[in-house]
Amino acid sequence: MGVFVFLPLVLPLTAWPVARLAEQHLHPRTATRLLTAVTAVMAVCSTVCLALLMVVGTAQLPGNPLPDGWSDPEVREAVPYDEVAGRAAIPALVLVLAACARTLWRHGRVRRRAHRALAGVRGKRVAVLPDDVPYAYALPGGRRQDRVVVTTALLEHLEPAERRALFAHERAHLAARHHRLLLVAQLAARANPFLRPLRTAVAYTAERWADEDAAQTIGSRRTVASAIGKAALVSRGTPIPTLAGLAAVGPVPRRVAALLAPAPTARRWPPVFTSVGLAAWGAAAGAAVSAMSSANSAVTMVLILRAATPL
Amino acid sequence: MGEEQQRPRRRRGQGQLEAMVLSALREADGPATAGWVQRRLGGDLAYTTVVTILTRLLAKGAVTRERAGRSFAWTPAADQAGLAARKMRKVLDAQSDREAVLASFVTGLGPDDERLLRELLRQAEDEGED
Repeated sequence: MGVFVFLPLVLPLTAWPVARLAEQHLHPRTATRLLTAVTAVMAVCSTVCLALLMVVGTAQLPGNPLPDGWSDPEVREAVPYDEVAGRAAIPALVLVLAACARTLWRHGRVRRRAHRALAGVRGKRVAVLPDDVPYAYALPGGRRQDRVVVTTALLEHLEPAERRALFAHERAHLAARHHRLLLVAQLAARANPFLRPLRTAVAYTAERWADEDAAQTIGSRRTVASAIGKAALVSRGTPIPTLAGLAAVGPVPRRVAALLAPAPTARRWPPVFTSVGLAAWGAAAGAAVSAMSSANSAVTMVLILRAATPL
Repeated sequence: MGEEQQRPRRRRGQGQLEAMVLSALREADGPATAGWVQRRLGGDLAYTTVVTILTRLLAKGAVTRERAGRSFAWTPAADQAGLAARKMRKVLDAQSDREAVLASFVTGLGPDDERLLRELLRQAEDEGED
């Protein structure tokens, strides 16, 4: 197994250019699903890899609770004996698990609190709140009803057609259960920091997906574009934290520009010898290599440990 | 005859009591307990009467209640949306990375985004007029 056990930890780096290409060229629906799947596979592999390193590292420590056979010379020979990596893997794995647990807990808490806040508000599917801060979002139901939350301040700034675009966008989020994909991407980013750009990419493509669905529902790409543009301009009080000099074009203008361009084709899997095809196949290959090397490491490890465990 | 005349008068009395309790409740800053409403009305009414009237208002949908310890906290229904808006702001303000949890319609704008966005929207309008 050798250095292959470290591969899943750094393979997410190969997905960065792939994510960029996918979000620009694939249909948003395909891109979101592909990127979420790739992100999830890479995160699981990277965590398995950390766990393996931890087992090896722990078996070398004096006074560990693992069977004595696991630190036999034969095992040390078969497993790349790297004390530093092994010991570093222990706190790293603890950190990953704690961060994921915290993310899950906060996700549940925000949803519960938001539903509790809306408990007495009339309107089953849409909750209009009298507030002078303009915002709107989709609140997934879980055991309760899905709801679209929007403030009067935002509605006041939109034409009737643009309001329909806003509601169609939020309903598209809820209908396609985007919150699950976003949660997966977020957990993955906690498991391996190299996956953070993929989380950002998934968040962007999910918005694009809802934009395209909304455009189809109301039958006008331009109306969705102007709804997004106006909503962003009236709620610009909270700028995204970026370094001014390095500021790339933010997600909102890119979404508006994409809607003013022709609709993307819904072709599911592009041919290999185009930049889009290379991106899609590259992502799939990276995820497959990552999964295989993790699986290879895990199986080898289990076999060695079983052989070394006195029964 | 005498009984029939009395009955409408009693009903009107109930309606007045309900209006009093409701207006007292509206003066509260947020949910209030029956005890608070009773004190607010100057203690003319018995505690049980206030609770009875509140329960009747609840059945009519004019107030809502939520459990607060051993008793209930009451809120006028008309104010429900405003109260929800305040609660929701608290939830959202407490959550620094809320974009990750709730898919909001728009995210913030970067330094150059605003100019770019205005240009795009103007272009779209021009094309729409052609």
